[in-house]
Order: sequence, then C-alpha cells, then structure tokens
Amino acid sequence: MARKTVFVDTSKCTGCKACTVACKEWNELPAEKTHLVTSYQTMKDFTPNTWTYLTFIEKYQNNTMDWYMRKAQCFHCAEPACLKACSSAAIHKTDSGYVVIDQDKCIGCGYCVENCPFGVPKVDEVRKKAYKCTGCIDRVENNLTPACVQTCQPGALEYGERDTLLPKAKARLEQVKKEHAQARLYGETEMGGTTFLYLLFDSPDVYGLPNNPTMPLSLSLWQDFVRPVGTFAVGGAAAAVVVGVLGNLFKGRYSSGSEKRDLSDGSEQEKGGKR
Amino acid sequence: MSPSFGRGAMTNSWSDLQNAEVFLIGGSNCAENHPIAMHWINRAREKGAKVIVVDPRFTRTASKADIFAQIRPGTDIAYLGAIINYLLANKLYDAQYVLNYTNALLKVSPDFKFEAGLFSGFDPKTNKYGVDTWSYQLGPDQKPLKAETLDDPDTVFSKLKEHYSRYSFETAEKISGIPAAKLKMIADVVAKAKPMTVLYALGMTQHTTGVQGIRAYAVMQLLLGNIGKAGGGINALRGEPNVQGSTDMANLFNNLPGYLPAPISTDKTLRDYLVRNGSIQEKPLVALLKAWFGDQANKDNDWGFAFLPKLNPATNATMVKVFELMEKGQFKLLFNIGSNSLVSIPNRQLVRSALTKLDMMVISDLFEVETAQFWREPGVNPADIQTEVIMFPAAFVYEKEGSLTNSSRWIQWKDAAIKPLGEAKPDLDMLDALFKKVRRLYAGSTAAKDAPILKARWNYGEEPQALKVLQELNGYDERTGKLLPTLADYLKAPVGSVSTGCWIYAGVTGNGNLAARRGNTDPSGLGLFNNWSFAWPGNIRILYNRASCDLNGQPVDPKRKLIWWDAAKNLWVGNDGPDVVDKTKAPDTPEGKLAFRMNPEGVGRLFAAKYMSGLPQTPPADSLPVIGIRPAGLCVDGPLPEFYEPIESPTVNLLHPLVSQNPAALILSGSPGIQKRGKPEDFPYVLTTYGVVEHFCAGGVTRNIPWLNELMPEPFVEISKNLAQKVGVKEGDKVEVSSARGKVTVYCLVTDRLQTYQVNGKDTETIGMPWSWGFASLSPGPSTNELTIAALDPGAGTPEYKVCLVNLRRA
Repeated sequence: MARKTVFVDTSKCTGCKACTVACKEWNELPAEKTHLVTSYQTMKDFTPNTWTYLTFIEKYQNNTMDWYMRKAQCFHCAEPACLKACSSAAIHKTDSGYVVIDQDKCIGCGYCVENCPFGVPKVDEVRKKAYKCTGCIDRVENNLTPACVQTCQPGALEYGERDTLLPKAKARLEQVKKEHAQARLYGETEMGGTTFLYLLFDSPDVYGLPNNPTMPLSLSLWQDFVRPVGTFAVGGAAAAVVVGVLGNLFKGRYSSGSEKRDLSDGSEQEKGGKR
Repeated sequence: MSPSFGRGAMTNSWSDLQNAEVFLIGGSNCAENHPIAMHWINRAREKGAKVIVVDPRFTRTASKADIFAQIRPGTDIAYLGAIINYLLANKLYDAQYVLNYTNALLKVSPDFKFEAGLFSGFDPKTNKYGVDTWSYQLGPDQKPLKAETLDDPDTVFSKLKEHYSRYSFETAEKISGIPAAKLKMIADVVAKAKPMTVLYALGMTQHTTGVQGIRAYAVMQLLLGNIGKAGGGINALRGEPNVQGSTDMANLFNNLPGYLPAPISTDKTLRDYLVRNGSIQEKPLVALLKAWFGDQANKDNDWGFAFLPKLNPATNATMVKVFELMEKGQFKLLFNIGSNSLVSIPNRQLVRSALTKLDMMVISDLFEVETAQFWREPGVNPADIQTEVIMFPAAFVYEKEGSLTNSSRWIQWKDAAIKPLGEAKPDLDMLDALFKKVRRLYAGSTAAKDAPILKARWNYGEEPQALKVLQELNGYDERTGKLLPTLADYLKAPVGSVSTGCWIYAGVTGNGNLAARRGNTDPSGLGLFNNWSFAWPGNIRILYNRASCDLNGQPVDPKRKLIWWDAAKNLWVGNDGPDVVDKTKAPDTPEGKLAFRMNPEGVGRLFAAKYMSGLPQTPPADSLPVIGIRPAGLCVDGPLPEFYEPIESPTVNLLHPLVSQNPAALILSGSPGIQKRGKPEDFPYVLTTYGVVEHFCAGGVTRNIPWLNELMPEPFVEISKNLAQKVGVKEGDKVEVSSARGKVTVYCLVTDRLQTYQVNGKDTETIGMPWSWGFASLSPGPSTNELTIAALDPGAGTPEYKVCLVNLRRA
C-alpha cells in the first residue's frame, strides 16, 4: 500500500470540533468531564479516551487578531519514537505510514508515553494499555476515509496518497504565504515525515509544538545498545529495569529541553492550572 | 428581502458560494452556526476570494477573514448607509443595472418626507406609520411616472442620494466604532471586486431594525448589480435545517403557506381579500382552499373562504406577543412542539410567568426540556403551579421520513433511518391521530365555527404517509385527480381547477418524487446541481437570474453564465432554470426585460414604495372597491433603511437625538413589572448573545449528548482585557452579569477577540454570551435570556436578542 497522508490545512479549519466527535463515535470512546481551558478549548491533553482534540491559540499584535485552530492527534511518524521505545513490540508501522498499537501485546509500560516527542499516547491505568489515534486503520483498510476527514465540513482535512497530497500542500502553502509570511508545512520532514501533514500559519512553537521534534537520546541507547545486549544476556525483564534507570537519568533532560516536553497543549496546561 | 426583490428567500445557494469573489459576512457567524457554508467559502478562498467579516466579536468565522471590523451591535445600518453614500457620491454603482433593473428612475410622491428621524405618515398615538405618502407619482395609466435621468429631483435615485448624504464614514465611525479608514477600505473592496455575496443570519435580524438592516443590504447589492448573479446575491442563512421549509409552510403568523398573506378580520369575502392583496393571489388562495377542503371549497361557497381563520391585525401575534397574551390569561392550552421557549424567548420572566397561567400544556419533545419542567425550576414551588403538563415523546429527525427545505430552497426528501424508539411518534402521526380524534368529537355539529374541522380534506392514509403531504403541497388537477406535473401546469390552469397546499412547491412530486433526486453532477461547474432534489420555484437555483443578462439577454459575466436568450429557438435557456415571466418573451419585450417579476414594477426596489399594479384607469361603475393585480411588499417602518439605536443603548442617536430608537418598534409594555428598561448609568456594557457551534439553539437535544457537552461544557461570558482589568476579574473567575430584568453567574473568558472601542468619543465595551443553556439536561447552566429584552422588530416581530445593557462584577 502506498504511503498515505492526511493533509491538515489549518487555514481552512474553523475549530468546529466535529472531528473530535466523529473520532469518539467511530472508536466508541466515552465523553469525559471537561471545563473551558482557555479560549474555546475544553480538552487539555490527550487521554486514553480522547485521541484527537482542538487547540485554540489567540494572538493579538499590531491591532490584528489571529486565532489559530489546530486539530491535534498522533502524527503517525515515519520514524516513530514510540515504536522504538515499546518494550513489548506492540507498536508497528504499516506500509501506508500508520503507527498502530496492538492492544493484545501492549502491557501499558508507558515507554511510548515517555518518548513521544508530541506527548500523544496515554496509558489507561486500569486497563494497563496505551491508547492513541489509530488513523482509522480499520476504515482506511476498507477503502473508507478516516472518520475525522469524513466529517470535516470546511474541508480542512484531506486524505490521500502522500505523493499526491504533498505537492498539493506545497501549492496551498505558496498561496497562504501571500497573506501569512510565516506559514509553513509541518510534518514534511519532521520525524522522518509524518502521515498527518500540517499547514501552520506560524512557527510550531506558537502552536505549542516542538520546532524540531527528535528521537530522545536515551531511546537510541535503549534500542540500539541496551536492549540487544540485555535481551541476549539476562532477558527482557531485567532489560526493562535497566532502561527504567536510564529513563530516569535522562528525564531531567526531557523536562528542561523545552521542545521535548513542550507538548501541543503545553501553554494551555499552564493556564488550565488556574481552575 | 420580499419588499426589495419580491420573494422572502435567500437569493442564491450554499453551493453557489464558491462563485463569489468577495464575501461580506455581517450578522452571520457561519463557521459556527452554518458550518457547511465554510465548505463552499473555502473553495472560493482557494480561488483567491476575499472575506470581509463585520461582527461585534472576532468569531471563528472572523478567523478566516481577510478584513475584520468589530462593530457595536445594532449599528449595521450606520456603516452600510455610509457605504451606500460612498457608492452613490463616487458613481461606483452599476449604472446599466440600476437604470434597467431597479426602480431608480421612478418618481416618488412629493408628499414623501423624512425629517428629524421620522418618515412622513407617523402617528405618535399608535406608534405606527400610515404609508400613503410612500408612493410613486402615477400617470393616467396608474403606472409610476419614469424620469428621463437619474438626476431628476423626484426620482427614487435622488431620494436615495439625499437620504444617505447624512452618512459619512466619520459619522458611521462615531456610531459603530469601526474606524472610518477601515470602512473606506471595505467600501473600496465591495465596489471593485464582483460578484460579491452577502451572508447574514440572526446577527442582522435580531434587532428592532432587523428588516431595515436587510433592506440596506438589498439597496447596496442592487446598486452594485450583484443580485440575480452566480456568486452574488444576499444569502439569508436559515437557522435550522428546515427553517426555510417551515417558513414556506407559514410559520410566520401573518402568512398562509406559499407566502400568501393571511386574511384579516375585515376580509368578509374572497373579494375583500383580493382588494387588499391583488388578483394575483386569487389562484394560489383558491388552490390552497381546494387542497384543504377539496370539493367542499367551490364557487358557490366563495371557495370556502369562510373556513379560513381571520387575523386581528391589531394583535400582531408574534411569538413574544403570544407569551404576553398568555401572561394576561388569554390562553388555556399551549401545544408546544419542539420549542424550548423557557430558554429561547427573550426576558425569561415573561415565559416563566406566562406558563403558570395555563390550564394545560402539552409538550412534544425528545427530552424533558426546561419548558416541560418549568414547574420544578430551582426556586419554583411545584405546589404553587396549577398548570397540568403532558409530555409526548417525539421521534427524532432520523426516525421519520419527510422533506426538509434548506436555505438554498432545495426540498430534500429523506427516509427514516430507524424506527422511533419506545413510544415516540413522528409529528405527522401525532397530529393525524389528534385531528381524527378531534373530528370525531365534533361529528354532527352544525355550528359554522366547526365547519372547517368537519369539512377538511384529510386523507394522508390510515397510517399517515409524509409523501402524501408533499403530494398535497405539489398539488392536483382537481378535474382528473392527477398530480400537477410542473409549476407551469399550475400557472396555466383556470382558477378553481387545481389544488396546491403550497403553490411554490408545484412540480416537486409531479414527475416522481423529485425531492428524492440525488444526481450530483454539475455540468456548468457553477454549483447548480440541477438534478439534486428540487428547488422552488420550478427548480430555479438562483433567483432573479434574468438580471445576470444584459438588455439583449446575454450573460454579462462570461465566466458565470446562468441563462441567456437563444434567438434561434426564440427561448430563454441556460444552465439554470430561467427566472422570467415567460420563456418565450424576448429580452426586448416588456415582459422579457423584467428581472424581478414578483414585484409589481418588475424591478428591484431601492425605495420600498406603496404600489399596486393593474389598477383601472377609471373608477368602476359599480362603485365597489377596485382590485389591482399585484401589491408591492412594504416595510412598516419606512421605505428606506434608517439607522436607529437599539432599545437599550449606551448612547443617543447621533443623526436625530430626539428620535433615537425605531419609533415603530414593538416593545413589550403590558407587564411593566417584568419588562424593565435599563439605563447606561446603571448598566454600562453592551451585551450581545449568540450560539456556539457545539450546541444547537436552546440546547434541548445537544445538552443531552455527552460528546457535545465535553466540547462546550458550560456557558460563559467573553470580555475584553481592558474590561477585565477595570472590574478586577481574570479568566476562569465566576462573574455576575445583570440587566434591569435579571442576573446570571457564569465563567469568565478574557480575550483579545473583543476590544474596547469608541462610540462618539467615549470608550465602550461589548461583552458576549452564548444563550444555549438552561437548568435541565445533562449540562445545566444559567439561561442568558434572563437578561435580554422583549423588544421586537415592527415588521418581522423578531426580538432584539443581539443588544441589551448589562453590568458585570466578580461573583
């Protein structure tokens, strides 16, 4: 199957949140208790039951108001940190570019949570499983478009083959740039090129996204050195202990490295804390 | 719209929005309240179209705008007047269009005056206008006199020029708070890029000057030559999926289906009715009576005219008025179907008090909405309430078959997806059972008042079928019992030989159920989709499309060809159905030129004059009142739009301080204890109210859907950062908002999307609140209509939800 892409054109998004409902409906996810966080945003972060939500960023300068709306969900990276981090080989990547958690294999260890540069997966502490956007793999493998794309009325979401959509996204960018000089694509090269490709009005950090998302260093150590050795020498369980220690060691770096923990909703979390 | 163009409907369609070069979105937050609009607007934006949004708040729609102007709520006519003035003063109008397709050249009566804020004919005792002076100078043939040039001092055009000469950008800035430079920028864009379309919704209508605001759009669009064209028009976005359909079916109190005027108490006979409304209404009214009463309506009994209820014109029974009368004890029973009045009517105290005066209320809804349980609202003692309340479980939209008519006038059929749950019933089943039962109870009665019930032709089947209703609306040839194939068959049939339940729907089921058509091809690429459902009238997709052609009948916009005159065939043809008097009449014939055939003058009306076409040249010998052909639609508060302040306003009218507000506005006055009016000293801030995309109207359905509640879990008030600082509140605080009529406590959003602005040199604040909450449901919250005022537009009866005065403090 050719590489797929969902082009998220935020210049067309009207923040209607229908994608959130479509996602919950298709995936049979329950509603959660929410409050206004800031602006019209009511979901602070991903949860095991919220795989996509809208962020609202208000920016006022030079007597001009900008209100940026962005649909957040798993980016489905070409080089997924979660996959590399997974202790139970529960995460795999499809040829079409989807990054999928196999719930039968997931043990809820949370390494994917720790290592995703976008803070996407969340572990359900009761079920001991990690959850995130599946990209509606069950729909697209049956020739349907993802639920969010299907429902998007303003046409901000478009699903198709990457080879078709990437040039289209670039052409749209040129058009948008005439009025918004800072506009750019996000996900063309980030994390090896993400399946969800964004057109943003401004730099990623304005949206609370990492400007240069990367694979955590500890993860390279784990994947490329510790795990092969550990698995060979003392078995998986012991290796997990080792990586736990390493994880703690590197954690300091995660928090201070603004890009890595500065999730898509980072700014809102701060404001949300007022409640 | 009707007094301007002849039909009270959105001129173009959703899918036509893709053809616009410029959008003026004023009084509509379509991204939130009509999300599908953005689908087509985004297509136009992709092609380079520009979007102008004028709104009291920076909305989700505004986030997609190229130009945004924050306006003080209720001052639209001030800025539109300034744009009209600019177009006229700088000759930026479409001269050919104005000369040929508007009433610009017609001469206005010398008795017409506008002085110190009042049009001629005002009666201060009744607060109503006599409209006789708002007329044309008539020739001996009883037709309006036409001047040689626009500059003739008597012309509509000269009156227009004079009227709007008072509206400069600077004056408009002082009134509206929009900087003059920005207004000029908007005017320049509007004047140059064509076609431009206007989108409006409740932001424009929910004012005591609602009708006149739309008229201002009409005047501007006629001057610019944007009506009747693909990508142009005035698009009145209808609130619910079937608002257009329900309006077609006469949900306005003074209509009968198909926009026929309702008879009034002085209409003793059909002739009396025709004297007032013109002979043009004879056929549709008789066809309606035939649809309702069949053979029981015949020539011998005046076509059953006596069966129709007659309005008391002094009562003006709009929705709010009904509750006012109910509060006075005039009603015993309220049958409340799908309306959550206790949340949605302005000044909730009125509804709260009125419902207690009923003997019984029957409520049909999906959920036990606030209105259904008014007797146990917090603070109310159920023992004090005598009203008996009966709840009918209603079927949801997906549980019943039928048609919905959207803003594009597309009558779209749908099947039931699932059977109603539990004991729920579709409305049709409920009303059918109720009527049959009532009729049995009246059996044998000889009282005249019971005749309509006993003689009605009620035949939708043992198990009622919605298709039979649609077929009744389509109409039958009563001589053969066959469905009318097309609108043309209805039009050419003799009076009394055909029936239609709604004449504009003729043709919808004549050749199969065309409302169920789903052909989604679009050969012209103009978004006409002629084979998708059926658009009234006669499947015309863009109204007044004759105006898209020049005098020779050829399209003026080669990229957007709707119709044209085919000289070889001697016929109007095209991509769309031609909206012409007669398809065989050439463009140079008197009929072939008429672009607005539903108006008695046949042209678009810049000046909404009183006029009846077809009056005889000499009085008839029998000395009976004469019957003309077609009367013009009138606005009861003036032939030209004039700016008036809202009923509760932070300032006085800069143009005429002594007549600050619309002198004809209807203000609930019979209950002074309920309807108090606030002064700016006590209530310094301007409140505007609205819906949000996450909830629908009064929230009766949506607040019971958990997935929507998590998207917008609570009501809020939005305020500017300046105001937050001034009153000492921050985002997330609870604040109390109060008006002269009530107070509520809600969550506070502090935002840059509202800015402090200047009104006549004084800092002014607008605050915003959504209104979709009430005390019941899975997501209860205070109702904003606790604060609003029951003041109504005199023509449409629409309440001024969009403006009232409030105060705000930390709770």
